[in-house]
Amino acid sequence: MKRAMAFILALLALAATSLAKDVYFNKHPVLWENADILIWTPDAQSPVDPRELCLSLKRNNSGAGEPKCRLFGEWERDSVAMHYARWLQKNMDPALDEEYLHIRHPALMAKVQSLEDNIVLYLAESGDNINVAIFDETSTNPKVAGSIAKNADKVALADKIASTFFSGKTKRRLSKEERQKLQDEPDDLYQEVPKFRAWAGVAFGYSQAHIPLTPYTWYKSHVESEVRNYRITKDSVSLWNFIDDSDPLLNAYLGGIWYGFIGLELQYRFAKHRVKTDDDDPVYDELDHWDFYQHEIGLNALFSRTYNIKSWLDISLLLILGFQYSFFVEDIALNDDVKEPSRAYKVRIRFEEAYKGGVIGGAAQFVFKKHYGIGIRTGISTRGRDMYVDPTPEAAAAPTIIGGSTIDWFVGLGLEYHWSL
Amino acid sequence: MFRKLATLCIAVCALVGCGPSYHWSKSHPLYKQPPYSALSISGTQNAFVLTRSKWFAKKLEIAPESAQVQVTSFCERAFLDEMRRAYPALKDVPDATINAYPEESQKLDDRIFIKGHFPEQGIAVKNADGSTPALVLIIHEFIIGTDLKRELYYDYDLIHKENEEKPTSKNLSAIFSYTLWDNERQRPLFSAVEEIQQPIVKLSMDDMKSLIATAARKIRISLYEGVQK
Repeated sequence: MKRAMAFILALLALAATSLAKDVYFNKHPVLWENADILIWTPDAQSPVDPRELCLSLKRNNSGAGEPKCRLFGEWERDSVAMHYARWLQKNMDPALDEEYLHIRHPALMAKVQSLEDNIVLYLAESGDNINVAIFDETSTNPKVAGSIAKNADKVALADKIASTFFSGKTKRRLSKEERQKLQDEPDDLYQEVPKFRAWAGVAFGYSQAHIPLTPYTWYKSHVESEVRNYRITKDSVSLWNFIDDSDPLLNAYLGGIWYGFIGLELQYRFAKHRVKTDDDDPVYDELDHWDFYQHEIGLNALFSRTYNIKSWLDISLLLILGFQYSFFVEDIALNDDVKEPSRAYKVRIRFEEAYKGGVIGGAAQFVFKKHYGIGIRTGISTRGRDMYVDPTPEAAAAPTIIGGSTIDWFVGLGLEYHWSL
Repeated sequence: MFRKLATLCIAVCALVGCGPSYHWSKSHPLYKQPPYSALSISGTQNAFVLTRSKWFAKKLEIAPESAQVQVTSFCERAFLDEMRRAYPALKDVPDATINAYPEESQKLDDRIFIKGHFPEQGIAVKNADGSTPALVLIIHEFIIGTDLKRELYYDYDLIHKENEEKPTSKNLSAIFSYTLWDNERQRPLFSAVEEIQQPIVKLSMDDMKSLIATAARKIRISLYEGVQK
């Protein structure tokens, strides 16, 4: 069994080396449908019959269409081309890749570049083999080089050439006008980075106190805290002790990027948070609802990198660093039948007038047709007390500021309109 | 274990990969045999250039107007003598034969290019005596001076920079570029840019001669070392 395996492996290896020897390198030139194949040889007589070759191409490749094959007399009468042809005959070797077979003469280089969509098939006898190379207009190196065994049977030889070098998918040839148009067209992927690109967007999102990938225990006491008697909580360091943290949000923003690299963005965020009143506390029987509206206005610095994926799609990645002011506007109402609110209601918790905070995050903008964008953004946003108040001797004794450290994680999906100058 | 490996990697990187390094020579993949006794040489008539010719004229006590001609023709003769010693059947391909072809540049390294004239593909050049050589040593440039650095002449990034430093004269130096040309298959087998330095004690024509001899030896050694195994 082992022996049989070894034999099969040896056979496979042999097949692989013989296959590898056939083609020295292949840079995959375009195979045209209805191709014009020009046979170029330094020998007195072409090893293959052009008509047989065409028939073989049709037999071997169903996409070949109606190829036309002829001897390339123009180059066979040209002394510079023939010098190179003889040179190639002596220099083709499995060890050499295409740069060592480079055409050096400027006149022949120019000729190759003006081949248009014709395929030059170079055939040269070399001992018991026939060296084969293929040239096209895109390169002054051969695109393919290889060799096949000599064969007196011209049909078999043509078949071998067709199957070794002309298998693969073919492409429709372009008309003269199409080629001209293609050459005149600017490259889709070539474009300058606009000096300034601006956008306006509206995003819907969601925020919560729990930052993903961090332990929930960090937030547990804030998130699960409830307000008793209008003001009593476990602690008051975070606003999430008082109000719901996981709520939908609305975001509106206006931004711009200079030179695709650095930018600024003005943003507004809105959310409604319910106060987490303790349902067991009878003091709230008088209460109809108690909510806070969160308004935030911020200015972000942006660092960006844009990738031109397709002519109709650009993707920009943004790093967001910003600061913001947060305002929590209270909306509270008692039931209609309550004439006089309780004392606890009158001395209920009050938040600071404004909080200062920061934002750090990232965003991706998918801009279609240069104008219509979809933005995804996520990050961490904080709001705390005013850091610019001078500390006083009484600072230690003063009560903690409510919501001194209110942090949330947000994610949003936005619709944007972009324009560039 | 891991830390050791990381340090080792950084050390190797610092020593080998990440510093500026040049490849000063390039061999053809099929360069299998260095030249033995038979060799033709070309380019020597035009390759030699003397820099700081006034300084050399003063030191060698020759007329400044003719220093360039005198020194370069002396060096050429010395070079050919030395090469003839190494390759007894040395012949020459006239410079004009090779110079008839357009100048091309050849890449040795990402930053190193040599310029020279190379025969056309498919055409074998002939010796002055009419025979066809198998191998031709084409000397592209041979610059003689003091304290020369080949980076400043051949590094594509540096050649356009002005050299502010005052010329020094600690060493007698030569920079030369050459190609061993396979005349049968018309391909470059081995190309290199070399630099040699020789301390100056009291400059004389003998020093020039020994500099040239060192250069010729260096070419021979490089031709052996460049063979692809």
